Amino acid sequence: MDKNIYEPVKCRVIEVITESPTIKTVILKPEKEFSFLAGQFASLTVPGVGEAPFTPSSSPYEKETLEFTVMKAGRVTAEIHNLKPGDTVGVRGPYGKPYPLDFYKGKEILLVGGGVGLAPLRALFFALMHTVKDYKRIVFCCGAKTPDDYIYKGKILDEWHPLCDKLPLCFRITVDRKDEKWKYGEGVVTKTLDGLDVDIKNSVAVVCGPPIMMKFTTLKLLEIGYTDPQIYLSMERKMYCGVGQCRHCLIGDLFVCKDGPVFTYDKLKGKPNIWV
Amino acid sequence: MDTLYISNKDWESFIRGKIESRKIFAPFDFNGTLFYAKITAENADDIVYNRARPVEPLKLFLFPFKERVSPSVEGIGDIVVMGPAACDLKGLEILDRVFKDGDYKDPCYAERREKTLIISFDCASPYPVCFCELVGLHPYPEGNFDLNVSRIPEGFLVDIGSDKGRVFIGEDQKFFQITDELRKKRDEGRRKAGETIKELNRDFDFTNIENLKGACQTELWRIPKEVENCVQCGSCTNNCPTCVCFLLEDTGNRKEEMRKTKVWDSCLFPGYARMAAGASPRPTLYDRYANRLLCKYWYMVENFGMKGCTGCGRCIAGCAGKIDKRRVITEVLREKEKV
Repeated sequence: MDKNIYEPVKCRVIEVITESPTIKTVILKPEKEFSFLAGQFASLTVPGVGEAPFTPSSSPYEKETLEFTVMKAGRVTAEIHNLKPGDTVGVRGPYGKPYPLDFYKGKEILLVGGGVGLAPLRALFFALMHTVKDYKRIVFCCGAKTPDDYIYKGKILDEWHPLCDKLPLCFRITVDRKDEKWKYGEGVVTKTLDGLDVDIKNSVAVVCGPPIMMKFTTLKLLEIGYTDPQIYLSMERKMYCGVGQCRHCLIGDLFVCKDGPVFTYDKLKGKPNIWV
Repeated sequence: MDTLYISNKDWESFIRGKIESRKIFAPFDFNGTLFYAKITAENADDIVYNRARPVEPLKLFLFPFKERVSPSVEGIGDIVVMGPAACDLKGLEILDRVFKDGDYKDPCYAERREKTLIISFDCASPYPVCFCELVGLHPYPEGNFDLNVSRIPEGFLVDIGSDKGRVFIGEDQKFFQITDELRKKRDEGRRKAGETIKELNRDFDFTNIENLKGACQTELWRIPKEVENCVQCGSCTNNCPTCVCFLLEDTGNRKEEMRKTKVWDSCLFPGYARMAAGASPRPTLYDRYANRLLCKYWYMVENFGMKGCTGCGRCIAGCAGKIDKRRVITEVLREKEKV
């Protein structure tokens, strides 16, 4: 008999990290191995409460534990924020299509992330770093509202940023409004695309963030010379089944769950209400 | 396809002979309207043959309104459903693709489908809301049934559509090969029913229905005045033979148990697509109303290679706002052409 598609893999909560006033990362230990590829997502169940889809923020190469970085936005996410080490949750998946890393080989990869949108990009970043020599360069543009809202601050600023001296890697870091201690850029994340020294013809741009940020980043990328198929957007919709049955996540005829969740802009153009 | 003839009396006793061994549902007239009910020794003479489709869509038997899916339910029994019409059978193709034939299988659908024997009927007296002919179908089944029953004054013509249907008939000696004359008689009745539906729909124009592709501008759907009468009750989606949307409820306890229950949902409900922080891709009533029709005539065409509308007219008959979708579509297509 086929495995029941709705039966989650049980996971024990190992640790809950507060990333910002509204964002936490939960580290889970699945009862059996749960593998995913960068770009794929999973449905996270809080028993008796509900289920919601998230892209893991941990490395796809990490087989022991699984991490999700979650912004408190509604009923299920509020319960995720209340989780304590030792609690039980469930994951179903992985679902959706991964980033086409083979296609990215030899290219300059521009990552543009805003707020909690950095979470899926973190998994992608780990995957890229795993075989970093395969790529010409990684340019990571990160944004958040304020320094307090910056997630993975310790990692990005203290661990990853220093790697730029040794590897084909570069960070462009900004906040919308800085405070007195902030020593990086100020302005919305699209500002980091000004004066970009990237060979655009041999590049792809991967964008993840709130809809308004993705919209303006896409417009800016088009303005500086990227074409529609070079722009990879992480789409978000209400979702239940994750497998293309319940139809909640449709953007026009496209299923975010099985055709996405990452789409190139050419696929989305002309579909109803894409920037929500 | 084999077609057999059986007299009125023999068919009735044939069905009576089956009710002991299995649950058989068939359409009955309740105050002028057809609903499915279980056949019993008492009501077996009252089955309504070949009038039109029952009120309930066939999906009700295969995709229950609410069902636990993890852990999945067990003990699905054999049933026979008599009376679905061609529009219902066409809808099965979408249900099958969604729940059975894709990469991911629903935990119960395939088994339930296997254990359901379908005896469809021709439609001889279509409702004013019926419009199968507008979407390229006819009021008589052409496939997707195990048996199909056409009533003629002399008795019943029974098409055998599957091995399951053949086994159901078994070695019964009361079925005979049909004559050309009987077949002609049936074809004439079918032609008339088709003409009736065309006549009922002469004010509506679906000629360029594929132009609904891309018709997602909210303003376009404000033009047909009646759309504002939608009260977002979900009657159209519940009664639709191809609406498959559902949500998952977590019904376990708060500690460890993870039980999931599948419940029908409706894209007309404001909460259907609303995300955690409150944003919705379809914030207005017009967006939601449009979405359902775009799903039928655009998205499902891309997803399954067929329209998601089979012309059963249940969404019109059941509409609390008395919206006639045929008029709305005709108007929207006309407006779109102007642009």
